[in-house]
Amino acid sequence: MTAVAETSETAEQAAFRDEAHAWLEGNAPRRRHDSSEFKRRVAATGPEDEQAHVEASKSWQRRIFDAGFAGISVPRDYGGRGDTAALERVWRQEVVRYEIDTGVFSVALGMVVPTLLAHGTEDQKRRFVPPVLRGEELWCQLFSEPGAGSDLAGLTTRAERDGDEWVVNGQKVWNSFAHLADWGILLARTDWDVPKHRGITYFLVDMHSPGVEPRPLRQITGVAHFNETFLTDVRIPADQVVGAVNGGWGVAQTTLMNERALIGGASPLGFRDYVELARHHGKTADPDIRQRLAAAYTRFQILRWLGQRAQAAARSGQALGPESSVAKLVISDHSAQNGDLALAIEGAAGMLSGRDAFESGFWQQQFLGQWGVRIGGGTEQVQRNIIGERVLGLPPERRPDKTEPFRSIPKNA
Amino acid sequence: MDFTLSEEQTAARDLAEQIFQGSVTPERVKAVEATDERVDRDLWAALADANLLGLCLPEAVGGSGLGLLELCLVLEAQGQVVAPVPLWATVVLGALPIAEWGSAEQRQAWLPGVVRGDVLLSAALAGPGTNDPHRPPVEARADGSGWRLFGLSVAVPAAHVADRVLVPARTPDGVGVFLVDPRGPGVTLERAITTNREIHPHLLLDGAPGEVLGSLDAGGRAVAWMVDRALLGLCAMQIGVCEAAVRLAADYTSNRVQFGKPLSAFQGVALHAADGYIQTEAIRVTTWQAAWRLDAGREATSDVLVAKWWASEGGQRVVHIAQHLHGGMGADVDYPVHRYFLWGKQIEDTLGGASAQLARLGQTLAGAA
Repeated sequence: MTAVAETSETAEQAAFRDEAHAWLEGNAPRRRHDSSEFKRRVAATGPEDEQAHVEASKSWQRRIFDAGFAGISVPRDYGGRGDTAALERVWRQEVVRYEIDTGVFSVALGMVVPTLLAHGTEDQKRRFVPPVLRGEELWCQLFSEPGAGSDLAGLTTRAERDGDEWVVNGQKVWNSFAHLADWGILLARTDWDVPKHRGITYFLVDMHSPGVEPRPLRQITGVAHFNETFLTDVRIPADQVVGAVNGGWGVAQTTLMNERALIGGASPLGFRDYVELARHHGKTADPDIRQRLAAAYTRFQILRWLGQRAQAAARSGQALGPESSVAKLVISDHSAQNGDLALAIEGAAGMLSGRDAFESGFWQQQFLGQWGVRIGGGTEQVQRNIIGERVLGLPPERRPDKTEPFRSIPKNA
Repeated sequence: MDFTLSEEQTAARDLAEQIFQGSVTPERVKAVEATDERVDRDLWAALADANLLGLCLPEAVGGSGLGLLELCLVLEAQGQVVAPVPLWATVVLGALPIAEWGSAEQRQAWLPGVVRGDVLLSAALAGPGTNDPHRPPVEARADGSGWRLFGLSVAVPAAHVADRVLVPARTPDGVGVFLVDPRGPGVTLERAITTNREIHPHLLLDGAPGEVLGSLDAGGRAVAWMVDRALLGLCAMQIGVCEAAVRLAADYTSNRVQFGKPLSAFQGVALHAADGYIQTEAIRVTTWQAAWRLDAGREATSDVLVAKWWASEGGQRVVHIAQHLHGGMGADVDYPVHRYFLWGKQIEDTLGGASAQLARLGQTLAGAA
């Protein structure tokens, strides 16, 4: 296998691709479509499997850092390589071809680092970015609440100032890896008498602080990487606020846009995996399966070109915009259809689950895992609203909850 | 049919709903799922006491002699609460074929026990990679005056608790249906868990004695007859699953406040829920129509295929909608809605998913033209 060049690649990008390719070839096993370590790992759902996943992620991230490929577009001052987003993309294209697992760092690398680089203080960037790049500190996101999902700005976790500290009380939910994380990014309400978007503050919380209690939730896929997290009188030093007090909503937008870009984009599954699955089950001559494979191929192409267009925009200096909602919607549909396709290919055997199923239930997990992709990072309906209002410029719905003081808005009991 | 339920049908439905809804809670389903056999034996006894197991079995064996439509209403009530009982396996896959095709001795041997709730049955209709019971993966070889069976059937519902399994098998004179004791000699059961977390073991037959159901020359017709009813039963359960899933989603979104108002007040949510309702009613009318034609003794294969196609295609749309409208709650196994999603998917794929039904339907329609 040779490195695959993109048509419009610059000499710098091509040179970097060769460099990355050489290191990967020398350090990691190639991912094979017919038998994949990645699939076995995803299908492994026990607590000991999880610990192994964490260890593997930390060790890979450290090796990537030592080789100079961590944080490719992160400035050198904060431990990165100080190169462009275009090179970062080249790295991602190359790395998915290998059995490299840095999954537990997805929140830290994909959401926390970009947010801190955009909004953090100099001290925050120097303190928090390098340990992520070195694979030392794990992060989780503490945004959603039982009563605040699609309406994230309706959150009611409360933070009150006490001297040089903030004291936080409330409950968060759907917190990936919270039970393993060292640090969390947290949204809490700091002013109840202004409209809801203007009374939220963005904090960095030490997950080992007294009063932080994550409890794993067992998911439909059989894994338990989500948590509900209880926060009771948790004390956070005032210098761990990101952006301005009551200015957290704007900071959160950076995190959320990066989350949308991250979701689905992280799957190393490609079209070839579905063809291999059909081949294994003797379905490549089935006309219905062939049509569905052709449709899947088209979806993979659409996503690829959408991704490239977004990257081109990023190269020319445009910030990640509401277009990430388009990608998120396409990926949602893609994920649902691919799950169905995999089980249709397996036929009657697709009805088995867990270890009784082909490849230890990996494909059943892909099917059941579609909900993480479709709900996480904002539902399909939320994305459509964003496109309607912010991209197409349609008049927004009348929304008194945006303008009245948060205290007076109807909430869940 | 005129789609109006008779008094008897209404009574059967009300009784079934009363028993299922009165005893099955999400907590109880969870508790049963934690047991080794994953069958709610108390509920099964309650269904027998109410004579719902014998509803459409002949009066001569203690049944009520009603029709398939009445049975569909009971299966629908089961689907509404996703109750872990082998009703489809025992009554639809096992008892109905014995009543129709079995000898007088076979009927007397098994059916009174089914009515009383003492006997569980099933049938082996799928092989590895095949859902075509007309070409069964099992072969029957004559052995003196009897038969011995060889082959592998996959995912046989409730085989681990069944007293007998009906197994279609190839003989030199065409396909026959055989009664097999799943705990007898020459049988190995391999435990397998399916999409909806039920136990549907694989049945490995290596010289297991098989007793011909009725007479051998009825075999091929009996299999077609069984498949029509098996598909119909799945559709009936899917009606209940979808109906309850839509209701759960409607309740959840009406009670959950986001952006200062109930979620259901958003058009994106309301339109979605209404779509789910429409699909559910389409499953209901196509299923009832097929049941009515079968009860009336009319040719009904294409009606059954229409119903199963829609129960698969429309059914999966409904459970996706319900799951989606529950947001993150749908992914949390402590909350009940995910079970409807899993049941909907299982019913969709059992005995062939949407495209398999369409292929058969197309063959039936184009062949008839």
